[in-house]
Amino acid sequence: MKKIINAPEDVVKECLEGMQMAYSDTLDYIPEMEVIVRKEIRDKVAVISGGGAGHEPLHAGFVGRGMLDAAISGNVFSSPSPDRIVAAIDRVNTGKGVLMVIKNYSGDIMNFGLATDMAELDGVQIDKVIVKDDVAVPDSTYSTGRRGIAGTVFVHKIAGAKAETGASLSEVAAIAREAADNIRSMGMAMTPCILPAVGKPGFVLAEDEIEIGMGIHGEPGVEKTKVKTAKEVAECLLDKILSDYDFENSEVAVLVNGLGGTPLMELYILNREVQKILKERNISVHRTLVGNYTTSLDMTGCSITLLKLNDELKTLLDAECDTPALKFY
Amino acid sequence: MAFVITSEDYTKYLAAAEKKLVDNKDYVTELDLATGDGDHWSNMNMGFKKLIENSDKLAELNISDEFKEIGKIMMSVIGGSSGVLYGSAYIGAAKASKGMEELDRDGLYAVLKAMLEAIMDRGQAKPGFKTMIDSLYPAVVEYGKCLDENVSDEKLCERVKTAAIDGANSTADMEAVKGRATYQADKGVGHLDPGAVTMSYQISVLMDTAKEKILA
Repeated sequence: MKKIINAPEDVVKECLEGMQMAYSDTLDYIPEMEVIVRKEIRDKVAVISGGGAGHEPLHAGFVGRGMLDAAISGNVFSSPSPDRIVAAIDRVNTGKGVLMVIKNYSGDIMNFGLATDMAELDGVQIDKVIVKDDVAVPDSTYSTGRRGIAGTVFVHKIAGAKAETGASLSEVAAIAREAADNIRSMGMAMTPCILPAVGKPGFVLAEDEIEIGMGIHGEPGVEKTKVKTAKEVAECLLDKILSDYDFENSEVAVLVNGLGGTPLMELYILNREVQKILKERNISVHRTLVGNYTTSLDMTGCSITLLKLNDELKTLLDAECDTPALKFY
Repeated sequence: MAFVITSEDYTKYLAAAEKKLVDNKDYVTELDLATGDGDHWSNMNMGFKKLIENSDKLAELNISDEFKEIGKIMMSVIGGSSGVLYGSAYIGAAKASKGMEELDRDGLYAVLKAMLEAIMDRGQAKPGFKTMIDSLYPAVVEYGKCLDENVSDEKLCERVKTAAIDGANSTADMEAVKGRATYQADKGVGHLDPGAVTMSYQISVLMDTAKEKILA
């Protein structure tokens, strides 16, 4: 294992501390709780998210104006405990309520669920949106129902933008759920990731093999196939997405996401193919993001996400934001 | 004669439950090693130790706030999914007992029922999954029957305790649906579920505590 770390047990803490140091004018770090939170707490609905570490920049990288107010990290690939989530809620709640954006994994559902019960006992208004955008598998090792992956970034953006307008908790929750309902993603992996605490890959793929539909923790996908061209990868992933949900004749936002170990050059090549296919299918692209937004440590591979837009979603998507990993002016 | 459980009584129950747990350390760990990773006893023990450390503080709270604090401690000290499930149970109990001064037999039933519902909901599990629910569920059902039949508090305590223990014993024949035991070829058949066994200890001791309150 070659990694720039000090000790495997310190990676989450030291990663968040390092991130806070890079954005010390806008972000605070809550020690022990592994929470990154906005310095400026505004009198509005707070939007928070979180989950296991190892998916950087998700989630802490999206804390800032126009997106999240706080992100709570667990250990690598494992859910944060409820006390951490409650610490974040206590910090950001101004009385207008808190929306939690949760990826659909059993551990996250349980821990955010208990945190909700605890905060509600203290009189905090809580609502939640569960992201399950991955069309690859109906159930998985870690989830009942579809998994939540890179499409989560769009939900952060939409919910955060709506909250900035001064909307109520139920309004912010409603638009976040609408966004989540209109998002579909699908990914593939080429080489496994190495967890710092484990030191070796959790699965193996042959030199000429890729796995379609693999999860962002290395959970099994739908099939292993021979390496494909960028064009074939785009076709294969988009086929699954477009047959799952009707995007035809609509306007979409596109996210071509890298899993951490894939060079941007390849993601741009993939995006070129994605855009061509969407054009052929009469799907017009309003905005495209290409880059590492939801990663799986050093895994190589990608995912493609489409968000079907309407006027309100478009306005919220385009609204200004200022976070470490996403800035719109 | 009827029982009434106060905040202070509940801390006495916690101390008695901790003792029961300590007395059965080797047995529970042995059960857990057969189907799990062997840390269930020590996690539960850490949780109860922490509760005992805080018992003076807990005894001063009203019963609902006491349950809430117990939930927080269990969640953070036990950790993992057991921590979340016990945390959820006690937070559920806190909600169910809000406004109550103490627990009479109806109050205790409401609390146990809320705990069961919280665990089933959070764990997405049902009776028959070879979990702690298989002790708590029959105990709550039996409790309900006792209320319907209007039996004495003494009889009620005995019947609920027996149902919890019988329920835990019934897990030997069950196939695991959740957790590590599902990865084994026999899905844990032939082994008691350690989570159900420690749950039956807690219910037994709780019903004994209630019964002592009748005699007192």
